[in-house]
Amino acid sequence: MRRALLGGAIAAVVASAAVPLLLIAKQAMTPERESFAWPPAWLPHEPTLENFRHVLAGAELFGGLVRSVGVAAATVISTLALTLPAAWLGARAPAVGRRLDAVLVLTRVLPSIAIAVPLAVLFVRAGLYNDPSALGLWLAHTLLGLPLAFFVLRAAFAAVPVELEQAARLDGASALGAFVRVSMPLARPALATASLLVFLLSWDEFAFALLLQVTNRTLPPLLYYLSAFGFPGLSSALAAIMVLPALVIVILLEPAFRSGLLAGSGR
Amino acid sequence: MTERRAQAPDAVAGAAPGGLRARLAAAPLVLYLAAFLAYPALVAVRLAFTDATGGAFPSLASFRVLVSDELFWRAVAGNLVVPAATVALEVVAGLALALALAWRFPGRRLVRAAVVVPFALPEIVFLTVARSLLGTRGYANGALAAAGLPAVDFLAPGTALSYATVVAVDAWRTTPVVFLILLGALAAIPEEIGEAARLDGARGFRRLAFVTLPLLGPALAAAVLLRGLDALRIFATPMVLTGAEGVPVLSTYAYHQWSDYGDDGAAAAAAMALALIAVVASIPLLRRREAA
Repeated sequence: MRRALLGGAIAAVVASAAVPLLLIAKQAMTPERESFAWPPAWLPHEPTLENFRHVLAGAELFGGLVRSVGVAAATVISTLALTLPAAWLGARAPAVGRRLDAVLVLTRVLPSIAIAVPLAVLFVRAGLYNDPSALGLWLAHTLLGLPLAFFVLRAAFAAVPVELEQAARLDGASALGAFVRVSMPLARPALATASLLVFLLSWDEFAFALLLQVTNRTLPPLLYYLSAFGFPGLSSALAAIMVLPALVIVILLEPAFRSGLLAGSGR
Repeated sequence: MTERRAQAPDAVAGAAPGGLRARLAAAPLVLYLAAFLAYPALVAVRLAFTDATGGAFPSLASFRVLVSDELFWRAVAGNLVVPAATVALEVVAGLALALALAWRFPGRRLVRAAVVVPFALPEIVFLTVARSLLGTRGYANGALAAAGLPAVDFLAPGTALSYATVVAVDAWRTTPVVFLILLGALAAIPEEIGEAARLDGARGFRRLAFVTLPLLGPALAAAVLLRGLDALRIFATPMVLTGAEGVPVLSTYAYHQWSDYGDDGAAAAAAMALALIAVVASIPLLRRREAA
């Protein structure tokens, strides 16, 4: 009984993880002319890397890759710049922290579309809508990154004994100096965690990208349209490119995953 | 934080975190939230109450559009049925997996890591794969054909089957979240309790129902709350699998109004309805945070 249950659970887990990965690999290596055979083949007849070549050579797809990396990197920087001082304050003055908490939870609770529609209208007025370098999407992704980075960093600063900062101040450091030279270095692992989380959030984000970048797309909407318009080979090659950094980051963050950090992140 | 002057040692208290100057540390974040969260929210409210044709404000024209649109009511129903079914399915699946994988067996670490894979994949990647698997000419139908069975249209718009498919795919992707929460809670149950239950003769199902499940209660509640809030915001799964109208929910409906009809007002009104549901549903979560 126990054995059958365990066997069933393991089989279900392995299948649920392996099926998507194998399908991506198979379709990415199948020439597009073979993709529409019926019934679908389980292995490509003539395995090829031409889909990857097309993705990297195509101006639109390569432009999307550059845009996605750029937006994600810029979002990490802006999110950390906004949350580092606030998270420190939240850790040192819990009453202020709780108030920030309540507002930040809202950005997690509100549906993307509820913020994306008015942002799109505002960006049209401001000339940021469908911006070629995705400035508008960067501003939106920063909003999404704030609660994630804030919660991670505040927990880290709360773990730094306030006495260490006080000691640095007694030795003549300014408040800023104590923060930069004492608290920040001690919070470095959390900084890395927050950076990776925010990068992944932007890299994966679909709804805002679909609304705000209607032609100057990042990778998620590009993948959506490629797949919807019937390019299984190309879209799977693009999917494989998107999966790689995501899996690397998730493996790096495995301890954080395990502690339930991402439970409410709604990725 | 913002002061750069060298401080005399006795000025430590002056820059205490509760002090006014230290509070400036939160200013950039607060200003950002005001500009990109509060202001857009106000714009959305204004849009929703503006007549799209005449520009009159305040007007209920957008809400009249919604109320008389049959698709809107299907989206409201979908936004209740799909999240409820998804959360129910993934709590059962996540609990079963957590209980099974809590046992000791060779390769346990590897299998536990594999559980997380569907959630670790970018959402859009997972969903496009699911569509190539479940489409009319997809691999699932290929397998059915190979077994000599008739084809099944898993994604036929508006059918009960397409709702079930959306629920199953969404649960497939997010069950790992429930699994991780419950696995953590299971590991936190002291071994003595299991021992005591066994000595008292509680085994198998009785032990599960009367010992383990009650102890998992708080974790189950947390999982349902967190995932429930998230499930209300469902957008990409029905969008990618069935298009904006196949299995309508409020987010796809708002997107449909905005993108296909260019009706900012109706889109904002639908988004407001959903935001209201989400905020009301989140009150228990905020209460928990206060309590914690």
